[in-house]
Amino acid sequence: MLDLLNVWFVSPFDYGFMRRAVVGGLALSLAAPPLGVFLVLRGMSLIGDAMAHAILPGVALGFLLAGFSLPIMSIGGVLFGLMVALLAGAVSKMGGQREDAAMASFFIISLAAGVMLISLGGSSVDLTHVLFGSILAINSTALLLIAGISTLIVLILAVVFRALVVECLDPLFLRGQSRRSGWVHSVFLGLLVLNLTAGFQTLGTLMAVGLMMLPATSARFWSKRLEGLIGIAIVLAMVASTGGLLLSFHLDIPSGPSIILLAGFGYLFSALFGRYHSLAAKLRRKTTPLEVEQGA
Amino acid sequence: MSQRSLSRLQLHNLHLAQARRTVLEHLEGDFKPGAITALIGANGAGKSTLIQAIMGELRPISGEVVCTVAKERRAWLPQQLALDLTFPMSVEELVMTGSWPSHGALTGYCAGHYRKGREIMARLGISHLAHRPLGELSGGQRQRALIGRTLMQEAELLLLDEPFANVDSETVDILIRILRQMADDGATIIVVLHDMDHLRRLADEVLMLNGGHGRWVAPSALTHQHAPAQVVPFTMGGRHAGSA
Repeated sequence: MLDLLNVWFVSPFDYGFMRRAVVGGLALSLAAPPLGVFLVLRGMSLIGDAMAHAILPGVALGFLLAGFSLPIMSIGGVLFGLMVALLAGAVSKMGGQREDAAMASFFIISLAAGVMLISLGGSSVDLTHVLFGSILAINSTALLLIAGISTLIVLILAVVFRALVVECLDPLFLRGQSRRSGWVHSVFLGLLVLNLTAGFQTLGTLMAVGLMMLPATSARFWSKRLEGLIGIAIVLAMVASTGGLLLSFHLDIPSGPSIILLAGFGYLFSALFGRYHSLAAKLRRKTTPLEVEQGA
Repeated sequence: MSQRSLSRLQLHNLHLAQARRTVLEHLEGDFKPGAITALIGANGAGKSTLIQAIMGELRPISGEVVCTVAKERRAWLPQQLALDLTFPMSVEELVMTGSWPSHGALTGYCAGHYRKGREIMARLGISHLAHRPLGELSGGQRQRALIGRTLMQEAELLLLDEPFANVDSETVDILIRILRQMADDGATIIVVLHDMDHLRRLADEVLMLNGGHGRWVAPSALTHQHAPAQVVPFTMGGRHAGSA
């Protein structure tokens, strides 16, 4: 029994690349899920996806200029992501279009531009790497970068937390309270871009969204409190990233998809058996029709 | 309170438009501290346009809104608020967000804030709901929690859009009492109302919007009308008629 545990859970980490991969995954699991929770609460779940595409041309440009250097590619990604976010905001402010419509237009342009750029300068292997990542190829520089960005995200999130909550619930109230209420939204989008840039090395630009959104959407089935949502989402993300990594090691399957699929399995499980709004919760409510209202 | 007579919100020959169409013009107004003004008029008469202008969200075509109340002491409560009811926040947390003006975004709440929050919830009769999520509240309970936020905010200018819609009669009684107390403490309060009974119980002054113009009338002039109570009698007076 102990042997089995050892073989499954301990010995994989004898390898340096597995140790770096698990630390990188855990760091991302701390930073990404809270952002996902806020995205879900703001009804912006699809914006994460859009932003993930938006960073691609920047990453591609970095790749063309400096080869496979994570810092350069990350800087390119952050700059491009912020630019797209600003452009989308500007287009929607000009009137006519809602921000999500503008964002949808820009992200598809970005995706095409990114794929075009990488194909011009590299091979299809490079393309696959950027789109789907390879957590097992993280070196120490990349790990430091990921951990640094994750730390920064958590710290900034702690500072703007209350403003973010108030803005989610009632943007009008925040606008009344503060002359600079617009910064909350911008800071939030900035954190989003940062997080996706940290995630693309490990999971790829497309799958980095998964570690942000899936734990957050799953947590909605387990808690009705903000702290609860964030806590549960972080735990789910940690389990998914570590579990997915082990699965990929033992079954010899690609690491990014196995992490996200494991998180996806968590989502389906939550939707079926979670405490609130799940299928099981609905069935439970049907079998116990009359519940006495307490309090009041 | 020392300057009770000095009005803190004035409208001077105000001309407002939405999408390049004039909604209100030649609007004069003087909202006194301590007075509760009812804003009445049919749908589309310009009530929400006027409120937007007062809150500084809409720039007038001409004329001006003179408001000496600091922006963070102005509170605006939209109709049953476009609140996301599934938002994971408790009543106490909602009330506490009103303490924003006194400490800003970055510092935490202190014990004094919590004490004040609990007092406010007790005044509104929602202490037992303090830890209940917003999604589980009735319309009346939610309205009380939102008023709690404005109390926490120590709002000096309070604009409410049909605060009694979708609200039980106990809540109406409590809200009317609280609003009167706030006015007595020197707040300027403007309430959009449709119900004549509420208007009689609450309003000191009435600003009636009709046909692009505003008219100040005494509440008694309206409530003495024997028109069916629920509807504002628009037939009374021409648009250029003098005040009643």
